[in-house]
Amino acid sequence: MPTVKFFATLRRAAGASEIETSAKTVKELLETLERDYDGKLDKYIKISTVLVNGKNVVHMKGKRTRLKPDDVVSIFPPLGGG
Amino acid sequence: MSSKYAGYMGKFLDIDLSTGKIGEYDVTDSLREMYLGSKGLATRILYDNTKKGVDPLGPDNVLIANTGPLVGSGAPCTSRFNISTKSPLTGGVLSSNCGGNFGMYLKRAGFDGVIIRGKAEKPTWIHIDDGKVELRDAAELWGLNTEETQEKLPKKTGKIVIGPAGENLVRYACIISQERAAGRGGAGAVMGSKNVKAVTAAGKQKVPVANPEKFQADVKKWIKILQGHPSTGEMMPAYGTAAFVNRCNITNTLPTHNFKRGNFEDADAISGETLADTLLVSNFGCPSCVIKCGRRVMVGEKNVKGPEFETLGLLGPNIENADLSKICEWNYEADLMGVDTISLGNTLGFAMELTEKGLLDSPLKFGRTEGITELIDDIAYRRGLGADLAEGVKRMSEKYGGKDFAMHAKGMEFASYEPRGAVGHGLGYAIANRGGCHIAGGYMIYFEANGPLTMDPLTTHAKPQLTALMQILLDSLSDAGSCQFTAFTAVPKQALALNPSGFLYRIAAKALEGFGPSISLMLRYPKLLAFVPPLELLQHPKAITDLTGMKMTFGKYIEVGQRTYIIERLFNFREGITGEQDTLPRRSLEELQTSDPRSRVPLAKMLPVYYRVRGLDRCGKPTTATLEKLDVRG
Repeated sequence: MPTVKFFATLRRAAGASEIETSAKTVKELLETLERDYDGKLDKYIKISTVLVNGKNVVHMKGKRTRLKPDDVVSIFPPLGGG
Repeated sequence: MSSKYAGYMGKFLDIDLSTGKIGEYDVTDSLREMYLGSKGLATRILYDNTKKGVDPLGPDNVLIANTGPLVGSGAPCTSRFNISTKSPLTGGVLSSNCGGNFGMYLKRAGFDGVIIRGKAEKPTWIHIDDGKVELRDAAELWGLNTEETQEKLPKKTGKIVIGPAGENLVRYACIISQERAAGRGGAGAVMGSKNVKAVTAAGKQKVPVANPEKFQADVKKWIKILQGHPSTGEMMPAYGTAAFVNRCNITNTLPTHNFKRGNFEDADAISGETLADTLLVSNFGCPSCVIKCGRRVMVGEKNVKGPEFETLGLLGPNIENADLSKICEWNYEADLMGVDTISLGNTLGFAMELTEKGLLDSPLKFGRTEGITELIDDIAYRRGLGADLAEGVKRMSEKYGGKDFAMHAKGMEFASYEPRGAVGHGLGYAIANRGGCHIAGGYMIYFEANGPLTMDPLTTHAKPQLTALMQILLDSLSDAGSCQFTAFTAVPKQALALNPSGFLYRIAAKALEGFGPSISLMLRYPKLLAFVPPLELLQHPKAITDLTGMKMTFGKYIEVGQRTYIIERLFNFREGITGEQDTLPRRSLEELQTSDPRSRVPLAKMLPVYYRVRGLDRCGKPTTATLEKLDVRG
């Protein structure tokens, strides 16, 4: 199953650094997260960048990007810089 | 000499340590209009007050500490000062923009800046108090670390000090103010070469404001924008710059094993998230800061400043170290000694790879943490192996070999971003006038891999143009006296609400790639941008206008940034640092980072475009037309 990694404030809100998902697309994953966490991640997810295997999904098929079993999905709220 | 513009104290100190003469340096309003302050103005002064070939560590080099108009004005995140000099690390221009409290106090003392010439006969502490200057004996301070030195100086003063590394002319010795560092390029060694241990400033003078009512409204709105933005209002306070460790790791831009790779298996162990969950005591900010990105951590029984992203990356993955507490310990030790942690992490990584390849006989090994604390002291005092490391990566590669993996540009070691994962950022390292610096190079990583709106990190489309634009905007912001982190509201909160994974962002990310010609046009005819952008869109020009009374149109703001790069460029060319040095080590240019054939920096493709956009000739030198257009004389 694909792995989902949470970062920064999203990790704190989710109470976990990573979970597994059975979602088949990014869209389905984001909807699942909304449902499973009773909306407490929404505030962060709606402004977050989603990467699949390190690649921003905006350079793939956006939310329609399909997820494979070995995929690692990373979700980052806007960070700033260093 | 006073100024017709508010925002300035109108005086610039001129101290000659060799003669003991103290006077005023004449800064005209015309220069203020052209360069605003800080880096741009200081580079102009540096150019005009040094001769070709000046020894960076000799008495004829000058050290300039100055401010921009926003400093001390009440605008958020403006407790900044700039240090400019000829770098002992690169032999070229050096500017370092630093927080702490010195800039604010310097203006309270009645000065926009100070130029320090010559060399004092004995250890000296320069004290500036409400318009008066004293050269005090620093015999009792000499030899102390930066913390001890600051403790011995009077309270309620702004301070800049050096540690043993500056005294011993380590080529990447830094200058410390409170717990902030003017880190890069060896300004601490220049201060040490002049026998200056500390400069303190005190006073109660106020920064004049041209339009108090409008400016106060700007400040109020600006604070609200910064505090209401997810990056500067939530993420930076909670995780600091350290939040970038995991993001860089995921995007293959975290330097690992002396920049051999872009990711590190144990990155999470040294990340901002882990720091926040384990060693973090609290966050802190410089005076007037509303972001508060600084970390406080425990090192042993002591509550000290925690590491920044750059330090975490270079003293972590770059040397294959996953022990966060060790990084905190080394960061503290380096600050006490006055050593730049970015060059330190690079030099250690390079020495480890030299040792691994049998080119250097040393106990250093990737992943081995024993002895590093002691080695930092050895670097500061130039003892044993430390004496070699004190010279930096470039000079070590000249002595021991390994130029292909000596990760520097123009002699300055890279910042903590692996450029093969974001090729525009690689271009930035190559063309930055001070050397392998992320900020002076335009910080393209933000639009390539790690910001909310990113382009394809490996494409070259529009990268040269965007690099030029980003450099210009960051230079102008710096010249104004602002913290670079105020730029993180560039993608406004309202735009983030459009969902960074959604359709509009997909369109925008693609559209950016076609944006090159528009940027070129804008940079060619900045005068057409004869409007002051609304504060909601870009804060600095409007705030400068209302503070100083100088109408800072977007076009003029761009020209300030353009001039800053060009005067730096002229300085470098005069010192023999030409376009030939706008390059990167072989590891960045030829070794593939991943199986993707694009995962190296295609510099030859981007450089000519960048030169054209910047008004440079094929050799990278500013053309006569560019100099005339910007009214910059060589």
